Amino acid sequence: MALSGVEIFKLLPKTNCKKCGFPTCLAFAMKLAQRQASLDACPDVSEEAKKILGEASAPPVRAIILGAGDKAVKMGEETVLFRHEKRFVNPCAFAVNIKDSESDNEIEKKVAMVIASEIDRVGQKLRIDAISIECASNDAVRYEAVTRMVSSRAPDTPIILNCFNASAAEAAVKAIADKKPLLYGARLDNLDAMVNIAKAHKTPLGLYAEGPEALSSLAEKAKAMGVEDIVIDPGAKSAKGIIEGNTQIRRAAIKKNFKPLGYPIINIVMKDDPLIETAIASVAIAKYASIVVLSSIERWKNLALFTLRQNLYTDPQVPMQVEQKIYKIGEPGPDAPLMITTNFSLTYFIVSGEVENSKVPSRLAVMDCEGLSVLTAWAAGKFTASRIAQFIKESGVENEVKHRELIIPGQVAILSGTLEDKLEGWKIIVGPREANGLPTFLKTKAA
Amino acid sequence: MAYVIPKETYSGKVASMTIGEGAKSIAIGGENTMPFLSFEGAIPNRPVIAMEIQDITPDDWPDNLKKYYNGYYDDAAKWAKFCVEQLNAKAIALRLVGTHPDKQDRSAEDAAKTVKEVLSVVDVPLIILGSNHIEKDASVIVAAAEAATGKNCIIGKAQEGNYKTIVAAALAHKHKLIAMSELDINLAKQLNILITQMGFETDRLLTDPMCSALGYGLEYTYSVMERIRLAALTQNDTTMQPPIVGDVGMYVWKTKEVSASEEDMPQWGSLEERGIAWEVVTAMGMLLAGANLLIMRHPKAVEKAEKVIEELTKG
Amino acid sequence: MIVIGEKISIIAKKVREAMTNRDPKPIQEIASAQWKAGAHMIDVNIGPAEEKGEDLMTWMVNIIQEVVPLPLCLDTTNSNALEAGLKAHNNQWGRALINSTSNEPERFVMLELAARHNAQVIGLTLGKGGLPADAEERAAIASEIMARAMEYGLPLEDLFLDPLILQVCTMQSHAMHAIKAVRMFQELNDPPMKTVVGLSNISNGAPKDMRSLIDRTFLTLLMHEGLTAAIMNPLDKDLMAVMKTTDIFLGKTLYAHSYLEM
Repeated sequence: MALSGVEIFKLLPKTNCKKCGFPTCLAFAMKLAQRQASLDACPDVSEEAKKILGEASAPPVRAIILGAGDKAVKMGEETVLFRHEKRFVNPCAFAVNIKDSESDNEIEKKVAMVIASEIDRVGQKLRIDAISIECASNDAVRYEAVTRMVSSRAPDTPIILNCFNASAAEAAVKAIADKKPLLYGARLDNLDAMVNIAKAHKTPLGLYAEGPEALSSLAEKAKAMGVEDIVIDPGAKSAKGIIEGNTQIRRAAIKKNFKPLGYPIINIVMKDDPLIETAIASVAIAKYASIVVLSSIERWKNLALFTLRQNLYTDPQVPMQVEQKIYKIGEPGPDAPLMITTNFSLTYFIVSGEVENSKVPSRLAVMDCEGLSVLTAWAAGKFTASRIAQFIKESGVENEVKHRELIIPGQVAILSGTLEDKLEGWKIIVGPREANGLPTFLKTKAA
Repeated sequence: MAYVIPKETYSGKVASMTIGEGAKSIAIGGENTMPFLSFEGAIPNRPVIAMEIQDITPDDWPDNLKKYYNGYYDDAAKWAKFCVEQLNAKAIALRLVGTHPDKQDRSAEDAAKTVKEVLSVVDVPLIILGSNHIEKDASVIVAAAEAATGKNCIIGKAQEGNYKTIVAAALAHKHKLIAMSELDINLAKQLNILITQMGFETDRLLTDPMCSALGYGLEYTYSVMERIRLAALTQNDTTMQPPIVGDVGMYVWKTKEVSASEEDMPQWGSLEERGIAWEVVTAMGMLLAGANLLIMRHPKAVEKAEKVIEELTKG
Repeated sequence: MIVIGEKISIIAKKVREAMTNRDPKPIQEIASAQWKAGAHMIDVNIGPAEEKGEDLMTWMVNIIQEVVPLPLCLDTTNSNALEAGLKAHNNQWGRALINSTSNEPERFVMLELAARHNAQVIGLTLGKGGLPADAEERAAIASEIMARAMEYGLPLEDLFLDPLILQVCTMQSHAMHAIKAVRMFQELNDPPMKTVVGLSNISNGAPKDMRSLIDRTFLTLLMHEGLTAAIMNPLDKDLMAVMKTTDIFLGKTLYAHSYLEM
């Protein structure tokens, strides 16, 4: 099993030279134990220590890079089965499948849609991460040509060579080897040839077998033949196959430290009905897939799947935050009441819900307090009179409202005096302690 | 290295119960494994989707949802019948939203009348929900429970502020009961303890840890549900063994994503499918986290989710 | 174990009013009661103290040390107020403890103050970007705070690592993470690092009649892992009795039938 930070520290040079970027060897050791740093960062570590640490610090699910350059996607490195235990680490990649048997026109159109798929959601740029090129023609010349075409139209997008024909695969890999495509793949019947291509061109290799058991023996063979970077497909066709196969694989890797299945999982989720495809892709996203291959691009589908991935891969330790601004609830006029609270999303959802219930059009000033709730933020010095005053002044709300009354949460009634001093010309009103007191409070105030 | 299927053995199992009366009654719960992992345990019953209807014409449903029930809004019984006969609903969830003081403030007697009318035309199990107004629900749900005596309905939702009267009504009229708390596993357990201390058996109780829509806190509900299910199975915690309810529709159909037009949000694609997908994906999240009963609104979303449930339970 | 009395806090209405009115009596009474109940140090929590924080902290230190011969644990996020408190502090009874620094850049100033004024400091294992997920993450943050302390020239013996106690009623798993972290912190240095907790955080949010039970059970487990100090309620007789009894088992005090009275 993994070594603790202290055990790792004992194997380090203990020079505190800072070349690794950390202030001490101990700090570096702690980061190594958490797999947030790589031993490569230490130039002075002994060969013996490297060997011991390398084995012990290898994550239960190997890290694999899909593609090269700015849009390369890191996969693997997962450490838990349930997101509440600790954050899911590397969000799965979405790929769209293109068949080389489609017309050039059709292919170009799809590639263009992949490139245009990027959207912004809550500050993150989300997109279809990769293109899977399927060798449906079984013709090496055609396959290589399509691969070249896709690669030139989408020069930065990672590519999955979805091809079980070794000669076609070899031609395509040669054409775009510098892009580090994922060569998917190898089965028991073509393993030797595929391994040789992957080794010759230093690409990761995708393995396909029916079920975790066959897959694990295939992975052991590939590894014995010298391939390190592996992605595995348990051959699941249905939602049931995905959830059971993926769960067994991830459990074997994490709970049993079973190395032959300690690789990122690829699921081919392609259905005629795009809504069904969306639903089954949801299973793959939630249950441990690292690459989800889809059959089509629809903007609504992308949005739903991007959002699910973003939701499930958030860090459960980081409080979810909403944007700092003045939120309007209903259609508040210049005389509508103005309240303030912090940007912890649950606080925001509950407070804004109660304000809605009151049916009194209002403004809610939501202030960035790093996602802490009101009392915690106050205690941590982030929801203080001077910060509130600064936020209210800079928010521009003074131009929106005619009055100068600010309602503060009852829990921080203590702030009212100081806040009146700091916010010149404003009257501070202490609101209810709990959000469920807001409807009565606002209605009474409006009456 | 030889591969051994990594199976978990759990000491507990989810409570099982039957809802409704007669040929179309349904059993839910009873599994002794995490969702859909039948390689290591028994999953005797599949999750159930109830289609939501209301006692008044909804004033907050977007047109892309509302159009599916045009012509049925004036009569809850007619609406229920349409869902069962035309849309193949396996259960109906009647939300008495019109009783809310800020909606039409319908009386408990009016609500009871609606319940009777609906029960007179449908033979599938009925879930009777209040308007989520703590004080008003106490009287509305009591009256509704009485009106539905002998029909083995699910009534709810009992919350910290009103559970005593609602539990008493469920006991008196022999219904199942939904206990709801707000996204906090410890509060969910506490409420279940309080309810069982009133003599209400765990195998008649359902737990609703509060749903959240995709993009609006779904991960909170997802993790709370997973943790409830894990506590039920690994710790054999009887207070966490009631089947889980996901009240999906009401959270999904108020988000921006299901109503913003394609003109306003061209990068979001077709509104029609976007709305359905939002409800389907939210439903999938709840199912994968352990939900046994979903309440949904869009007929197409129900149809797609049913299809995937079929795939997940039958292989 | 070092008991740091927690009762002088702005959270308490009586204390808050006395602070506002500069009325020394209620505060001195609480300080004195904690000392007599066995506190080794008195926590002085004046909150964020944005307004006249320096005056307030100086006044607090003076009036408290007038009546109790104990060092103080100065508790505010306002570094100017904190420095004023350090200047006023009477080191005759022992050195002051700063509550607290963390791995957040705006709190590094506390390390600088500790080094400059020969004080000790609590290092709360909290960094930017949310709560630490488990014991390992707490230890990683601890090691960064230790490195930072050395940069500021603060001896590691003067740093008390705090594993961040969170309320069990909503964050149950963190109770065990904190217990493990107390063990791990000690292993970060030789001689072992000192550790401290804000004990009553564990029972925050729990029903009032449950709090003492929760506090004292948790304290037993922490002491077993080698906890050096706790900010806690010395006026809770049951809690103090459990602490003394645990010290018996741990071999920290010699048994006699009347050990509780000592």
